[in-house]
Amino acid sequence: MTTRARRSKVEVAIGVLGAALTLLALVAAGARFADTAMFAALPTIGVFFVAIVIGEIFRITLPGSRRTAPLATAAALAFAMTVGSTQGVSADFNGPLVIAVTAVAMAVGSIPNLIRRKRVRLPDLANRLIGIAVAALLFREVPVWEGRTVLDLQTAWPAYNLALVMLLISAIALTVEIFLMASLRAARSYAPLTRTIQDEFRAALALSAALSATGALVALAERPLGLVAIPLFLFPLFLTQFAVRRQSAIRRTYRQTIRTLSRLTELGGYTEEGHASRVAALSMSMGHELGMSERDMLDLEYAALLHDIGQVSLTEPIPGGATVLAAPADQRRIAHDGAEIVRQTGVLDKVAVILEAQTTPFRQVREFGENLPLSSRIIKVCNAYDDLAGDSPDSAKRDAAIERIHLGLGYEYDPRVVNALVRALARSDQ
Amino acid sequence: MNETVSKGRPPSAGVPPHGVATYIAVVSLSAVGLAVLGWLMHPLKQDDILALVVLCVMGLLSSSSAESNIGGRIGFSFTSIILLSAVAILGPFGAAVVGAVTYLLVVKTDRFQVRVFNSAMASAIGAVGGIVYLLVGGASDVTPVGGGAWPLLLGVGLPLMVADVAQCLSNAVILSGIVRLSQGTPIRRFVLSMLGTSGPIYIGYGVIGFLFVVLWIPAGVGPFSGVLILAPLFTARWAFVQYGDEQRAHTRTLSALAAAVETKDLYTRGHSERVALLCELMAGSLALSHQATEVLRFAGMLHDIGKLAVPTRVLRRADRLSGEDLGTIATHPERGVEMVRDIEFLEGSIEAIRHHHERMDGRGYPAGLRGEEIPLFARVVAVADAFDSLTTSRSHRDAHAVAEAVAELHRRAGAQFDPTIVAALERGLVRHLWEPTRLEPRLMATTGRAFDHDDPAASDLMAGLASSEPAGSESDGADPLLAREAAP
Repeated sequence: MTTRARRSKVEVAIGVLGAALTLLALVAAGARFADTAMFAALPTIGVFFVAIVIGEIFRITLPGSRRTAPLATAAALAFAMTVGSTQGVSADFNGPLVIAVTAVAMAVGSIPNLIRRKRVRLPDLANRLIGIAVAALLFREVPVWEGRTVLDLQTAWPAYNLALVMLLISAIALTVEIFLMASLRAARSYAPLTRTIQDEFRAALALSAALSATGALVALAERPLGLVAIPLFLFPLFLTQFAVRRQSAIRRTYRQTIRTLSRLTELGGYTEEGHASRVAALSMSMGHELGMSERDMLDLEYAALLHDIGQVSLTEPIPGGATVLAAPADQRRIAHDGAEIVRQTGVLDKVAVILEAQTTPFRQVREFGENLPLSSRIIKVCNAYDDLAGDSPDSAKRDAAIERIHLGLGYEYDPRVVNALVRALARSDQ
Repeated sequence: MNETVSKGRPPSAGVPPHGVATYIAVVSLSAVGLAVLGWLMHPLKQDDILALVVLCVMGLLSSSSAESNIGGRIGFSFTSIILLSAVAILGPFGAAVVGAVTYLLVVKTDRFQVRVFNSAMASAIGAVGGIVYLLVGGASDVTPVGGGAWPLLLGVGLPLMVADVAQCLSNAVILSGIVRLSQGTPIRRFVLSMLGTSGPIYIGYGVIGFLFVVLWIPAGVGPFSGVLILAPLFTARWAFVQYGDEQRAHTRTLSALAAAVETKDLYTRGHSERVALLCELMAGSLALSHQATEVLRFAGMLHDIGKLAVPTRVLRRADRLSGEDLGTIATHPERGVEMVRDIEFLEGSIEAIRHHHERMDGRGYPAGLRGEEIPLFARVVAVADAFDSLTTSRSHRDAHAVAEAVAELHRRAGAQFDPTIVAALERGLVRHLWEPTRLEPRLMATTGRAFDHDDPAASDLMAGLASSEPAGSESDGADPLLAREAAP
């Protein structure tokens, strides 16, 4: 399909940009490498190189499977903004050298992850490198005032002024990175770009604040402390990284628990094997398609996984667990019981609301102006489709299921959601 | 963690004993004394006023936003960092002032007494840190130390670390006094437990405090360094708070869904919650660690989750169950394990769920394990399970009183239950009032004479079926010999 080809171009474009940047930087830095002054800067460059490699090895995964390496990014930002000091820190290197060294360090740091068979995505790395390049060029190369760069100008500034400028430059660099990341994710999930930009900012804001501050911190502390400042001042960020890691670990555990619980009805013989997870997967791709926010998507996922939980209160299982074939009153009761169970948790109220409304026909919205959550409408359609088609590869059965859903278009089902279903199915066939 | 007395733990329950008031007065006077001593050692200079104001404001902000309970018992206290940095930036007197201001003006609805105590304690801690810092040769004025890693590390970093330890110790000692007076906890035990939990965090505070000072004076960033240093920490705390929320949400979700299983079986409504509570109680008597208690609690909560795979008609059968039905019910521990084994953090609970119907005499199910072969947690869940069943009303009998139920468990100790666990339950019940659960008659009417597999008598019935011996020969489990042997 043409959209897929067009969209994956974003990945290729960012990858190529990153590679080109690395190459150019290597050439530009290599041209100056013969300078004798460069040798004085070698210890500084070396320490930063090691810091970035280590940071890259200990990368973390944020909620929403965002891979990032806070320590590496902060070290690279500090590298880009190093001003040199009398304590053995030389700043006698240019922007391209920062970019080239960072690129090599990121590549070296990724090797252990590759060996441990963890996925390394080149566009993600390229993306972070571009962010660092922005900081390095803004600080060391771009003439901002009467042909002089920030690096030239800062000698006349008081420290807090320099600190502010450093924060500003880090913020710009990280913003660029967030924008690029958002376009990458939009391409991957077929979601609208405006939506992924919002999601990306929300997800990255807290950590980015910590990163910009730490970048500035290290660069400033090098002046009195020398190179010791690099490991020392990365320590607060190390705590941050530890906390963020635990946060995303518990988020993963939570998801895992909900996934397992969604299988309770299957193991109890109420629903068909894999029904809940198929409905969840299909709901998610439709949610992306319909431009839902990441927060809403999480509720949608949980609701889709738990949509049949109400069946545990049935005395006798429904044949095949297919609620679409049950009487409307029974469907409503199951939905209600499910919502009650989920409401008991006290923390999944939104999910309960979605579950409560999952059987409501779409005409209630049209005729009575009832407020029906989009997630409920999605689950209704997905559940019907999966009850009718199952995971059968038989395309005739699937067409029949779609046809039957089309019969209820506008009355039972939201036409916009059904369209999204058709598109999502067409894509998954490729 | 700069631990303070919080609202959740008032220095006294009800009427304050006069000892508490005296103690607070003593602490306040010592704080003033220490501040005066600090002034004599290193008076505040005029240029320090701006720094003093900034640090006080930062202290106030941090104490006002402090999260008293972050899940997983991890937390940062920015106040400790600020108090420590004040030691090097301002000296002992300044640190004492920062400490006093931080808690005296705090925007919280603490009682006046609590506020005065916390303020006096923080002030004393600040002064002690400052005095120790100067005594071990910390640079009273950081500026002339100049640059260079070694001079700064030796002249500021190391003394600051010593001051940090002193602050940690004085925090623990002062706090232990008030807890001793108001709650009777022995001073030594309190100090040790507090050093165990917040000691390591204090090392972190020491490092960060040093970074703060370096950035403030030698790097020349001044008050603005607060923003830079605290930004990553703030993010860390934000993440920890999120972590705590998420963890609580997770626990609640699990327990609510465990309760969902009970909608199938009206008899057992609230059963898993109560068994979890009983397990927690016994974990206390058995002196289990925090983590082991959690594992045990989840095992108790989820022990019957496998009943979801048992057809409702069997669970609600009004007439007598056939041997086949009993066989079906007996599969529930294994089915439960199947259901939750993919949840990694329940790893430790799995064996307890699998074996919670084993008997000490080896006639239980599913594996027929004997005595110590049965995992400890499974033995605990078994006792909790039976105790809750006995103290809940059934259609054919009223709920047993607590003493009766315990006596019944004692009678079965050795044959069915582990005597040490029954004893642990008994100890737990001394500390915690347990009310038998009386179900509404209406509910009982709907369940009819339903079978309760948790009733110890049911265990005998099923043991009888499992072994070829005719059911009932030893079925009342009142084997006097075994019971006598088991009695402690």
